[in-house]
Amino acid sequence: MFFLKIYDYSSLVVDTLCDEPAGEDNAVACFYFDSAAQKEQSAMSVLGALLKQVASSLEKIPKEVTDAFRKHKKFIGGRELQLSEIVKMLGSLSSTQPTFLCLDALDECAERDRAKVLLSLKDIIKISPTIRVFLTGRPYVGDEVGGKHFIEGTALVSISPPNGDIIRYIQTNLAEGTSSGRWM
Amino acid sequence: MTAVTDNRSEVLTWLSPLEPHLRHNDIRTTRVKDVGDWLLRTEEFRSWKNGDGQGESQKATMFCSGNLGVGKTYIR
Repeated sequence: MFFLKIYDYSSLVVDTLCDEPAGEDNAVACFYFDSAAQKEQSAMSVLGALLKQVASSLEKIPKEVTDAFRKHKKFIGGRELQLSEIVKMLGSLSSTQPTFLCLDALDECAERDRAKVLLSLKDIIKISPTIRVFLTGRPYVGDEVGGKHFIEGTALVSISPPNGDIIRYIQTNLAEGTSSGRWM
Repeated sequence: MTAVTDNRSEVLTWLSPLEPHLRHNDIRTTRVKDVGDWLLRTEEFRSWKNGDGQGESQKATMFCSGNLGVGKTYIR
C-alpha cells in the first residue's frame, strides 16, 4: 500500500518558501515532531531550534543573541536560556526580514510541551505580526489552535489530497521498484 | 578566523542541540515530485504566504490537519 505522509506537505512548504525567486531574504525555520523523541523535543529545545535556524540564516549572528550567550556563559557550567527570552529574540529577529516558522505533526509533541509551544507562537506573532507560521497535525490539534490554545487569525485547511496526487505517488513508487520502500 | 567560526557554532549549539534541517533533508529526498502541489495552489496558502489578506482574512498562521490514513500513514 502507498500513502502520503503529512510531513511531505511540511517539507514541500519549507522548500517552496526557500526557493521562491522573490524570497531571497526569507528566513525559513522548520521543526518535525516525532513521538519517539518527545524527551528531547521539549518546548525549549524546539523554540531554540527555530531561533537557531533564523539566526544562522543571517550573515552575522545578531548582537542580542551573542549578548545573551555571553551573559549566560558567566554562570559556572553555563545557564540555560528561558523560554521567554527565546520568544523575545525570535519575535525581534522576525521583524527584520520575512520569517516563516513551519512545525510538523504537533500531535506528536507531548501535550504539556505543545501547550507551551502554541503559547510561545502566539506571543511571537504578537511581537512580530508579519511572521508566518505553518502548522500540521491531527484535527484535534487544530481544535486546540481554534479553542483552548487559541491563535487568532488561523487559516484551517484539511489535508485530503485529490486522487491525482495518490495515483501519481503510486506510479512513482512502482516505477522506482521496491528499493525505495520501507519493509515492515 | 577559526575562533570566529567556532564561536558562531558554539552560540548556535547553545540555542538548541537539535538539528531539524537534517530531518528536513531526509524527507525532501524521498518526497515525490508534484505531490502536494494542490496545497500550494490554494487561496489559503497563497494569501498566508504573501500576507496580503485583507482585514479579517489576514492570517499569520496556517494549520493543515490530516487524519490517520490521509497523511500520517507510512509507505509499505
